[in-house]
Amino acid sequence: MIITAAAAMVWLAAAPPAPTNDPPRMDFVLPDPGTYQLQRIMRAPDGTVLTVDGQLDKLSRFTRDRITLLGFIYTSCTDPQGCPMAYRVFDRLKDEIRATPALKDQVQLVTLSFDPARDTPSVMKRYAGSQLEDEGGLRWYFLTTPSERELMPLVEGFGQDVQYAIDNSTGRPFRQLSHVLKVFLIDRAGDVREIYTSTFLHPRAIIGDIKTLLME
Amino acid sequence: MKSFPCLPAALAAALLLAAPVVQADETCNSPYMAKLIKGQEDYVYVWTLGVDGLGDGSDKLVTIDVDPKSKTYGKVIAQVSVGTRGEAHHMGFTDDRRRIWAGGLAGAEIYVFDIATDPAHPKLLKTIKDLAAKTGYIGPHTYYALPGRMLVQALSNEKDKGGATGIAAYNNEGEFIARYPMPVEGGGDGYGYDLAVNPTKNVMLTSSFTGYANYMRPLGELIKDEAAMKRFGNTMVAWDLKAMKPKTIMQVPGAPLEIRWSLHPGDDWAITAAALTSKLWLVRPDASGQWQAKEVATIGDPTKIPLPVDISIRQDGKGLWVNTFMDGMTRYFDLTNPQAPKQTYEKHTGAQVNMISQSWDGTRVYITSSLLANWDKAGADNEQFLRAFRWDGKALTPAFEVDFTKEKLGRAHHMKLGSKVLKTAYVAPAGAPGR
Repeated sequence: MIITAAAAMVWLAAAPPAPTNDPPRMDFVLPDPGTYQLQRIMRAPDGTVLTVDGQLDKLSRFTRDRITLLGFIYTSCTDPQGCPMAYRVFDRLKDEIRATPALKDQVQLVTLSFDPARDTPSVMKRYAGSQLEDEGGLRWYFLTTPSERELMPLVEGFGQDVQYAIDNSTGRPFRQLSHVLKVFLIDRAGDVREIYTSTFLHPRAIIGDIKTLLME
Repeated sequence: MKSFPCLPAALAAALLLAAPVVQADETCNSPYMAKLIKGQEDYVYVWTLGVDGLGDGSDKLVTIDVDPKSKTYGKVIAQVSVGTRGEAHHMGFTDDRRRIWAGGLAGAEIYVFDIATDPAHPKLLKTIKDLAAKTGYIGPHTYYALPGRMLVQALSNEKDKGGATGIAAYNNEGEFIARYPMPVEGGGDGYGYDLAVNPTKNVMLTSSFTGYANYMRPLGELIKDEAAMKRFGNTMVAWDLKAMKPKTIMQVPGAPLEIRWSLHPGDDWAITAAALTSKLWLVRPDASGQWQAKEVATIGDPTKIPLPVDISIRQDGKGLWVNTFMDGMTRYFDLTNPQAPKQTYEKHTGAQVNMISQSWDGTRVYITSSLLANWDKAGADNEQFLRAFRWDGKALTPAFEVDFTKEKLGRAHHMKLGSKVLKTAYVAPAGAPGR
């Protein structure tokens, strides 16, 4: 089997990140679940997405009925404090949720690509690896979009900015795929109830928030 | 705080060649804010109080070109009037830095400006008018970004225009989310002024000033009113940020105003200045984790009421600028030991000075003049300006000045830094991929 260098790079980029990126240290005592309220920040936007099998579907099919954690990624992202950290946190959450019977049928994880041009369904499938397998009730969906036309309303609706820069050699704008890492906690009715950045992306805090929503 | 770009490798490499590096700016913004400027800022936005008979007399957002390489360096290049005069005071960026929220202390309106589409020419996007109806609060003061939303600290209330007030939360689209009253029990006095969060400690600090009935009165009249002078805040509150609940109320006499967290990694303290007592206070947790406030320094001669009105901390937490309104002085304190700040420099920078902001590297310092319409000085002392200085660690050297009266702008108050490369959009511009 012959693999070209470019194809190899794509394959390497699409492999799940190595588990080397720990979340930031949590230097405080969290309030107990249910002792505080998570406000309804906004409605989670809906739109068209592609599953790893290439099926078109509504995003809302993956963000309703269960409590959802949704994060944007690029499979080619290399910043250790960015997408790989989000992946790692989701991976840890998956373990904690699986170990808590009261949670595992109540939660789903959604990883949505920012980069439809590169992150085709097959690339997302490789990125997901074994995470796609049924984890005894826990669901982890890896989604992309057909094109920027479907992606941008979702990006805008979630308030996940995208920056444009000018290529000095051509004078043409290009999409600078930069973002401050955000993860969205969505309740069963489809309202965004918390938004985490890398500073506040602690699995224990997220579990506490999930339990708080389940106690409503 | 660091932002975390997430770039496809090929684009990241291209960016190194094609795009200016933009990372962070002045040191008083929310730690959740994206795209901070560490290099040369291009613009200073000045939220300006309207003056009757000067220009259109309305409050306005003024853009000044501060790029030394620009042909319009030191000049006003844009202004956006809100069409009314309402004691323009403070402003703040949304966490994505696409918008500036600004408001006036005379009412409850909040103005939202788009600074992403064309950073040199902000546009008024919308006016949020439901603060008083949703919360009972008026006088929106501090705008502090949380992910996807904005906390708005108010100064007063609609009912009696006193100091009992609170915090409102809105999402970035300007939809009201919740209200959080300032505590009035357990030592709380209900007053509000500034707020600042430290996510690594899950803490939000708030400070306390006074209500509409006081801050809208002429200063000379107010200070002779003994009863009214007792109606100023004397507390700071440490809140559980996650729960948005007050945890510890600290006694800090004399209206503690701006709160600045040290941004140095590992530091766990914030500093504030009490306006009426002219003291610096350090806020940090004790060995048991309980938040404590401690007086650590004196600013000028408190018997002369110099009135410290704004502070700006260095990005490494090792130094602090303090502006005192009455004597027009700009002072620098060495904060190497935050338990014992030492003044090492001072300069008379104006007949009256109020806000002070510095670039991330600390080499550029900007000062404005106005405190409140009815508290500003009269006659020749009523200078209205933005003055820019260079700081070499030893002395402030004037760089340029904009005379806000001569330019028919108004009273110069709060400043925020801007950059032309922070052009953020959800909709791809013409010529971009996917169009």
